[in-house]
Amino acid sequence: MEPTNVYAYKLVSRKEYFSPGHRACQGCAEALAVRLVGKALGRDTIAASATGCMEVVSTPLPFTNWNVPWIHVAFENAAAVASGAEAGMKALMRKGRLPKKKITFLAMAGDGGTSDIGIQALSGALERGHDFIYVCYDNEAYMNTGIQRSSSTPFGASTTTSPAGKVVPGQVTWKKNMPEIAAAHDIPYVATACPSYPIDLVQKVKKAARIKGPAYIHILSVCPTGWRLPPELSIKAGRLAVETGIFPLYEVEDGRYKFTVEVGILRPVSDYLKIQGRFRHLDEGMTGKIQKRVKEEYERLKKKVKMTQGD
Amino acid sequence: MITFTIDGYEVQAEAGQNVLEVALDKGFDIPHLCYHEALKPYGACRLCVAEVTSGKRTRLTTSCNYPVIEGISVQTSTEKVIRARKMVIELLLARCPDAPIVKDLAREYSVGRPRFTADNDDCILCGLCERVCREVVGPDAITFLGRGSSRKVGPPLEINPKTCIACGACVYICPTDCIKLKENEKERTIVRWGRTLPMKTCVVCGRSFAPWFQLEYFRKITEGIPKDFWDKCLDCR
Ligand SMILES: Cc1ncc(C[n+]2csc(CCOP(=O)(O)OP(=O)(O)O)c2C)c(N)n1
Ligand code: SF4
Ligand code: SF4
Ligand code: SF4
Ligand code: FES
Ligand SMILES: [Mg+2]
Repeated sequence: MEPTNVYAYKLVSRKEYFSPGHRACQGCAEALAVRLVGKALGRDTIAASATGCMEVVSTPLPFTNWNVPWIHVAFENAAAVASGAEAGMKALMRKGRLPKKKITFLAMAGDGGTSDIGIQALSGALERGHDFIYVCYDNEAYMNTGIQRSSSTPFGASTTTSPAGKVVPGQVTWKKNMPEIAAAHDIPYVATACPSYPIDLVQKVKKAARIKGPAYIHILSVCPTGWRLPPELSIKAGRLAVETGIFPLYEVEDGRYKFTVEVGILRPVSDYLKIQGRFRHLDEGMTGKIQKRVKEEYERLKKKVKMTQGD
Repeated sequence: MITFTIDGYEVQAEAGQNVLEVALDKGFDIPHLCYHEALKPYGACRLCVAEVTSGKRTRLTTSCNYPVIEGISVQTSTEKVIRARKMVIELLLARCPDAPIVKDLAREYSVGRPRFTADNDDCILCGLCERVCREVVGPDAITFLGRGSSRKVGPPLEINPKTCIACGACVYICPTDCIKLKENEKERTIVRWGRTLPMKTCVVCGRSFAPWFQLEYFRKITEGIPKDFWDKCLDCR
């Protein structure tokens, strides 16, 4: 449980930078995540946004619900465009052509735009050390184009390109571990977050903005449409992802791992899987496989926390 | 609508707003430590100083508790303002040399090593914790104590604030991160206030989820909610 979940949310900015009126589906936690990121960053932000659900729902020509400068970029180059904006503004400020001001550069994309097609641009930007934040909104498939699998789709999930049938039980590969890939670049800050834990999310985004250099935040964003889940369960599903250990909330600051939301006794993964249509076909054997893998990965993460703390 | 100028630019605001919130909303940089949009202005840190001209008179004043008035002109970065701000930062740095937010300000305003002695407490006496507990949460568990150099914020009588529900709102709002929260299966502690509360376990799934005392507080202040609502964790409700 998030210990500060009761009153602290009243202290989050009331201003909207990703305002109501967008066209996301009911119960879309990805839209909620974008809204919270906007509140955490405030008005002095420039966003470069890859194509995907969050672009499509927020800018049907001639409308927009963005209240900060926002650049729609291609599917693969959010990180490259944010790098360019950061380097360009820095140069203009140095030459005195723009007043000196702290501006946050935000690159954002879905899991497809991050762990598949955008990974090259992202790796380059992290390695060059731009002062920017990259946020991946992970709804675990290419949702905007009709629920195709990505490398971030979890094992066993049925999508239109990894359909569950008699022979193949949905996605046959394990989810790519993007936060670890980002952390392997030795950048100052990496974190996982989920809008079911709004204060934890806001605090991480604020920290990422304060830290100089690249920061990567991976946000699990429940998608009721693609996950075949009643919209009123999306917040609960995010909580169950964390409480089962499937999506632990942690941060890596200068190489030090830390859990930000501690879970006492992990719930069985079936608590999470059974409420989603995309996992409906899973039998005990498959669920057992997932349980085993989750436990192993969780233990590995715990070891990293132990190893890197207090040195 | 009230019209006035900030650094020569004409801006409009609603009656009842203060100069700081309008300036921030329009993109002017005014540093501030004791102001928060959800709380009443307090005017304690004096970092938000600006020069305000009203009629023929110009004076240096805190902008967070200065109401917007038709026709005034506000200057956010005159020499006088910068000098006053530097003085404030120097004092803050003397008091809290290790607080990142203070170090950042010192770097931005080129304030060097303080001439005063450090006493190594990260609390800057902004009063945000005390106000959030009173105005937003309700229990009014902590208060200002003492005077002068021994002034501090804490529970009355300095131990175990009896009404604190360990909600963590003060932990979240503290700008220097000096109020820590610790939690395990059995208890939650707000370290700075010396408040430890036992945790309650969910009657359905048996997992620990919130402090007992906090849930009893909610039971008291809410109406028309099923009797066992506060006995179940968020997932089992
Ligand atoms: C180079 C290229 N290939 C394919 C597309 C079509 N396309 C647009 S959005 C999208 C999927 C986006 O998936 P993801 O990044 O996960 O974002 P989501 O919609 O799930 O939020 C695809 C395949 C494109 N715009 N450009
Ligand atoms: S498809 Fe999913 S991610 Fe896209 S808008 Fe709908 S709920 Fe949100
Ligand atoms: S403890 Fe934190 S919030 Fe409270 S007065 Fe001190 S600095 Fe401000
Ligand atoms: S944790 Fe205690 S002191 Fe802090 S805001 Fe909540 S009730 Fe007040
Ligand atoms: S913000 Fe105005 S005095 Fe502190
Ligand atoms: Mg996606």
